[in-house]
Amino acid sequence: MTIVTGKAEARRRLQSGRSGALRKIGEHRADYAYVLPAIAVMLIVIAYPIYYTIELSFFKTPPGLQLRDKTFIGFDNYTAILTSEVFWKVTWNTLIWTLGSTLISFVLGFATALALHRAFIGRGVLRAILIIPWVISAVAASYIWKWIYHSDFGIIGAALVGLGLADRPPNFIDSVSTVLPSLIVVNIWREFPFAMIMMMAGLQTVPEQLLRAAQVDGASAWQRFWHVTFPHLRNVSTVTILLLAVANFNSFIIPWIMTGGGPSNASHIWITHIYELAFGRQRWGVASAYSVLLFLILMTLGYFYVRALSGNERKEGSA
Amino acid sequence: MSTTAEIAPRGLSRRRMRVDGWRWAGRIFLVFMLLYTAVPMIWMLITSIKSGFAAMQFPPQWWPDEPTLASYEKLLDPQNSVGQDFLRFFWNSLFVSTVTTILSVIVAVPAAYAFSRFSFPGRNFLFFAVLLRNMFPAVIFLVPLFILMRLLGLMNTHGSLILTYLTFGLPLAIWLLKGFYDNIPVQLEQAARIDGATRFQAFILIVMPLSTPGIIATAIYSFIGAWNEYIYAYTFLTKNDQLTLPVGIQRFFSENTTDFPGLMAASFMMSVPVVVLFLVLQRYFVRALTEGAVKH
Repeated sequence: MTIVTGKAEARRRLQSGRSGALRKIGEHRADYAYVLPAIAVMLIVIAYPIYYTIELSFFKTPPGLQLRDKTFIGFDNYTAILTSEVFWKVTWNTLIWTLGSTLISFVLGFATALALHRAFIGRGVLRAILIIPWVISAVAASYIWKWIYHSDFGIIGAALVGLGLADRPPNFIDSVSTVLPSLIVVNIWREFPFAMIMMMAGLQTVPEQLLRAAQVDGASAWQRFWHVTFPHLRNVSTVTILLLAVANFNSFIIPWIMTGGGPSNASHIWITHIYELAFGRQRWGVASAYSVLLFLILMTLGYFYVRALSGNERKEGSA
Repeated sequence: MSTTAEIAPRGLSRRRMRVDGWRWAGRIFLVFMLLYTAVPMIWMLITSIKSGFAAMQFPPQWWPDEPTLASYEKLLDPQNSVGQDFLRFFWNSLFVSTVTTILSVIVAVPAAYAFSRFSFPGRNFLFFAVLLRNMFPAVIFLVPLFILMRLLGLMNTHGSLILTYLTFGLPLAIWLLKGFYDNIPVQLEQAARIDGATRFQAFILIVMPLSTPGIIATAIYSFIGAWNEYIYAYTFLTKNDQLTLPVGIQRFFSENTTDFPGLMAASFMMSVPVVVLFLVLQRYFVRALTEGAVKH
């Protein structure tokens, strides 16, 4: 790279003068004007809610939003949550949901990106079709799949009966044992295109010469993938998996619309459970305590996310 | 002598066969993924042109005996109440998404530019703070925002949605755009400034046009995000004439649970604007992800 980018300029400036933080802030006050609108919006809609959630989590709240009548109860909300059976059930569901959706979406997306990497007739059209599920609304997706899974008139049930694999259409989303996997299939349907786009973008950065050199040296297709392509994609993969994991951990619409968490909590994940506690049963204090716990888990994930991102920056700096 | 000469081509052809094996595996895999992706969408379309009676049959009619556009006519007819509702929801979604998109571009462009070019104290901290927003689920913010919106008097207004959507569109928008600005040589601006342009003029005349693909990608992302958003709209809006499409459709069909052709037609029409928008502009989007996210 011979081009001096803004970052290089920034680094140079950083090195030139390191004394007097206040003076530096003063010097750069005009720069803050550019980020101020973004920061202001974020503060109103993020900092305040976080503060308020933490506060509420230590209070017993009456139903309804008469929050003036709340009473301080310390950590009671937290102990109540951690000792309840539902909590562990929901946590287990969330774990399966997040890990299952993330890993399968990533593997399918990555494989699709690899299969689409070589040019062939109709590749553009195929790619466009494969991306569509990611673009359409999750509400629409939920209804489409709810209809597909329908216990009387669903297409999958009918196909299974037609092929002689089942006597009568199975109950996909009304049965405790199949509901979570069935919802994960819907979620993957919506999410693998994202992994696909990210990995397609990543594949373009793998140097063609290296692959050809490896081929000349007699490396098999698998060896070329494992020793040349894959190491180049490590950073993209990390970022993609983290983004998918966070999105899945936070998903709400698919379980909420398709099952509402039922039957008997079998498809409740953290977010739907919190929503039901807050807006269904109006237990604001407990819901807030749940949110704080969630927040702590996400901060841990966020730490890795930032590390993965800044790892990329470091690499770029040294190159 | 002759054996070594024979082994070489045999080894080669075996390798070629193995390569062909991978290629065939790839093709079969693509067909499988195409079926997985397309069958649900095709079934949505087929169901949407059935009558209510034809949809409720077992075994299902794979292709309707009497295809009909009745569901679409009903949804788009401003004369009857269903059509009125649907068109109003459609308009509400369009309004909220468009305003959100315009505002997020206006806010994200200068922020991304500053994060890329300037080195003010706290720059990295602020940048990651903005990115971290993506980490947190809507639900964490829901209760306090619900109370905040009541405080601000924004309950049951589209303002509450626009304000909230702005914040979850911004992080990715800023991130994508920053990648673009990082790739635009500073010398271009410097040259303009030597020629007498102010920093602002250099920004508007040189940097903005070069980052158009990034801005388009950002705009698509915000628009699609706002168009599809459900949980805030579901919580902040209660009046029927304010609802956006995802919530409106859900409310409507929780009352008419068996009208699957209507539901599929509505799902289809809800998807058309974003899918068309995305397909027309996907080039920019993929490029922006490549430059913004991956090369970072």
